Amino acid sequence: MTLLSLRNIQKHFGAVRAVDGIDLDIRENEFFALLGASGSGKTTLLRMLAGFEAPTGGEILLDGQEISGVPPNKRPVNLMFQSYALFPHMSVAQNIAYGLEMERLPRAEIKTRVDEILEVIQLGDLAKRKPDQLSGGQRQRVALARALVKRPRLLLLDEPLGALDKKLRGEMQLELKRIQDEFGITFIIVTHDQEEALVMADRIAILRDGKLLQCGTPHEIYEHPESRFAADFIGVMNFLPVEQRDGKLLTASGDVITAADALDTGQRGVAAVRPERLHLGDAQGENRLTGKVSALAYHGLDLQLHLMSPAAPDPVMVRLTAGEAETRRLAIGEEVTVSWAAKDTRIFAV
Amino acid sequence: MTDRKPLYLMSPALAWLTAFMVVPCLLILALAFFRRGIYGGIEYTFTLENIALVFDPLYAGVFLKSAGIAGLSALIAVIVGYASAYAIAAAPARRQPVLLFFAVLPFWSNYLVRTYAWIVLLNREGLIASMAHWLGYDGELPKLLYTESAVVVGLVYNYLPFVILACYAPLSRLNPEIAEASRDLGGSGWTTFRRVTLPMTFPGVATGFVFVFVLSIGNFVTPALLGGGQFQMIGNLVYAQFLTANDWPFGAALSMFLIAIMMGLLTLQTFATERASGTRPEAT
Ligand SMILES: Nc1ncnc2c1ncn2[C@@H]1O[C@H](COP(=O)(O)OP(=O)(O)O)[C@@H](O)[C@H]1O
Ligand SMILES: [Mg+2]
Repeated sequence: MTLLSLRNIQKHFGAVRAVDGIDLDIRENEFFALLGASGSGKTTLLRMLAGFEAPTGGEILLDGQEISGVPPNKRPVNLMFQSYALFPHMSVAQNIAYGLEMERLPRAEIKTRVDEILEVIQLGDLAKRKPDQLSGGQRQRVALARALVKRPRLLLLDEPLGALDKKLRGEMQLELKRIQDEFGITFIIVTHDQEEALVMADRIAILRDGKLLQCGTPHEIYEHPESRFAADFIGVMNFLPVEQRDGKLLTASGDVITAADALDTGQRGVAAVRPERLHLGDAQGENRLTGKVSALAYHGLDLQLHLMSPAAPDPVMVRLTAGEAETRRLAIGEEVTVSWAAKDTRIFAV
Repeated sequence: MTDRKPLYLMSPALAWLTAFMVVPCLLILALAFFRRGIYGGIEYTFTLENIALVFDPLYAGVFLKSAGIAGLSALIAVIVGYASAYAIAAAPARRQPVLLFFAVLPFWSNYLVRTYAWIVLLNREGLIASMAHWLGYDGELPKLLYTESAVVVGLVYNYLPFVILACYAPLSRLNPEIAEASRDLGGSGWTTFRRVTLPMTFPGVATGFVFVFVLSIGNFVTPALLGGGQFQMIGNLVYAQFLTANDWPFGAALSMFLIAIMMGLLTLQTFATERASGTRPEAT
């Protein structure tokens, strides 16, 4: 069921169109990621949902009700701020209890719920500490607990893991997913880290310059990017410059590329293919390419290969599984042919 | 906050304080325990009479009255000053320095001139009376000048810039997202102010209050000019003991109590500031 609908939502700051006409439907219990580079309008969009910015135009419907005019304290929506915004003069427990006190719940119930959530985020023994006596990771969890304890219909998280180091981030990604599942609350998480979005989200929306570029499951976005930007932004992608001539797509080295899409005659574009779709030998698909190995790197389970080819200005990345790599010894400087299927090839005009 | 300034960097300031602050205070302290000479000099025999006299209902009453006027002035100054500082801190960032400059501007003029200006405003033929007449008010105006209220107005006016500066500092440092977090969690505007903004900026309020109180309770110029000698504050009493009554030991005893009150308040204020900022006082 749809929980939140955005209809042509806009926010302009003077001449800056921070959010420029976004339509989006978010389902109940969904873990939804807003993905975009810095300045793409992610925070502005969240602040409109939380009620801190009035949209310049468009509608925000929560459970079918327009909420644009509702002040932040009257919305069943909570925001976890990028800066965490913990109350520095209150202890961890007081920070978490604050939102429940605002609901005028009985003291006993507040205490039970605070203790409960402290258990969930494993900070029970730090309940009496002030925020400035906590580590970054602990603060992040307090901020999460403070928003979560209100059991909102919708929880907004603005780059919740942005300030954490890489290892902690990996752990917290799984932790967040577990918590979301356990509480059954709809999450909208903002991130500029595509890997994070792919790992956590049920669906991802890619934002660019305040516009929605593409929205879909991680699989859809990864396998079927609809624009060159999306293809480049998510994961690693090889781009081979191509031109449509005589009814064929030709690379700079004169090889023919077979793909489902085509360009107009004479038009230039790029053929895009993921590194893991390239295979050794010339019999693994309709398309092939030859190049010299310029770099080799083992990554545990797989082997990464860089090929210098006349077909592309940048080295072509190839990701071979360990099994595939064992079939042939590879050395730097060696000439290698790789091939791939037409169905794994996407064509974008430039 | 672990770096300790080498002591030698502080020594000029310490020497200055010792020579011109600590020593004179000790002299005053000593003076309070001697007898007044018959012809106004000092008779060097030990006595507690001066101290006892401070608690005489007549003088204790002056202390209470002074504390009341200083307290009221400080309270009004803090309310007005906090509101002004809040408005300045909420203005667009590039306009804040200008607003602050104008708020503090009166402070750069002479204290006496500023106080005389109020006489011009408040006296029977003054600006306020003329305005009232011009607006068509014919009745008898209440007496404005030479009242307690005039003294309070004068004190508030004089020390307001201090309060604005003291409150502006923590207000401008506040991360606006913290107040937003309170709103997000269900707090109304007023609750957010009472439970988040005010506690977080309380050090500024405490500093401003103590500042105005301490400067007001010992003030003798404003009560003399705007109070018109109708009543005395402690400052006037001390002034009179030293300069007209020639009773230095009693003047010294009064001063000591004044200093004790100020020191007590400043200590409380330091304590409040530390509590609010969550830091422990540094060992020095
Ligand atoms: N209050 C504001 N006033 C003016 N411009 C703003 C304001 N908030 C955001 N912007 C602008 O809107 C754009 C989007 O900002 P933001 O939503 O913070 O992006 P993101 O969170 O994706 O990094 C940026 O160009 C930013 O400079
Ligand atoms: Mg942002």
